[in-house]
Amino acid sequence: MGRESSMKPNYEILAYITRNKERVLNGSSLVLLADSEESSKEMTVDIAKAMKADVVHLKNGDYMIIRV
Amino acid sequence: MVKIGQQQHILPEEISIIVVAIVVGTLARAWVLKEDYRQYPSYPNGVLINIITGFVAAALGAVALPALMSKNFVAVTFLTLALQQFRDVRKTEKESLSDLEHTEYTYRGSAYIDGIAKTFESRNYIAFITSFFTSLTISILPFNIWINIAGGILVGLAVFFFLKRFTKGKTIGDIAQVKPGKVEVKDSSLYVDGIYVSNLLGTDNAEKLFKEEGMAVVIYPNENHFRINLDNFGQRQAALFEATRALGNKRYNFTRKDYEKGRVVITLVPIKQDIDALIEVVKKCPLLESAKKSHDVMKANLKEEK
Repeated sequence: MGRESSMKPNYEILAYITRNKERVLNGSSLVLLADSEESSKEMTVDIAKAMKADVVHLKNGDYMIIRV
Repeated sequence: MVKIGQQQHILPEEISIIVVAIVVGTLARAWVLKEDYRQYPSYPNGVLINIITGFVAAALGAVALPALMSKNFVAVTFLTLALQQFRDVRKTEKESLSDLEHTEYTYRGSAYIDGIAKTFESRNYIAFITSFFTSLTISILPFNIWINIAGGILVGLAVFFFLKRFTKGKTIGDIAQVKPGKVEVKDSSLYVDGIYVSNLLGTDNAEKLFKEEGMAVVIYPNENHFRINLDNFGQRQAALFEATRALGNKRYNFTRKDYEKGRVVITLVPIKQDIDALIEVVKKCPLLESAKKSHDVMKANLKEEK
């Protein structure tokens, strides 16, 4: 049972915040390197607020800011 | 109609027939309008527009018979205009609701909009047919005009109630149980009654908000085949839309289906904290015509019974 095509969510990754520089790769979205858990949390919340976006906390500790 | 010289004049009896039929037809439209109140994008202007289009539909139904009886067959071709007008009502409603899609808390969805637009069109047919039968009855009864009018009104009402019953659709509450669901947030993921819903609660604020104010209901289909309706994305979106519309939406709204048992989750952070209202609104959400399937017909076709 698929979605209606008119309501297919248009997910867009706005930013990716990580503490592991190995995961900073090329891409269309912004990838930021944080130096601590606290700092990555702060950056995530600030960007998400500014962009009115949602946040996914990945199991590896990284944050992904997406807009649906 | 009587011809005097080159001019045609309407007889007083014909005026009575037309006026009574128009009034009954317009009232028929107004009565079904009240029932649909929550589907209205705009009140009172939307109501006025629909009463006026109902009046036009009733007028077309009312004059059809007198036109035929005066052997004015060309005049009957305006019935095609009636059909065009009703189709335009549907089209206009569809366009209007589609334009509003981005201003609501969540989407109504194309399936729900299609259902609403179809309902608007069919309600005009109700006005048309009711006034036509009223006019027909008054014309064919052999008694004096007042008895004929009373008879016409009675027949008009009977036709109206029959059509209202015939066009009345089912709701989610007719095919499923709707119960409150337990909201849990584990590792920034949202679960309702153990069903995974979303992992969009990535911040502490989001988790806190959903834990404190999130509300959820779970829809349990009464029969397994009702999942065909309930799993439909348009149907779930319609239920979610009605929930956000009734209670408001502070932040986040999700719908999710559980593949194993066929449960459907509707969850949101509402402005108004009222779980009973949430259950009620989901129960009363109409089953969409586009998602509706006749189980018996499908069974017969699948087995290829002769």
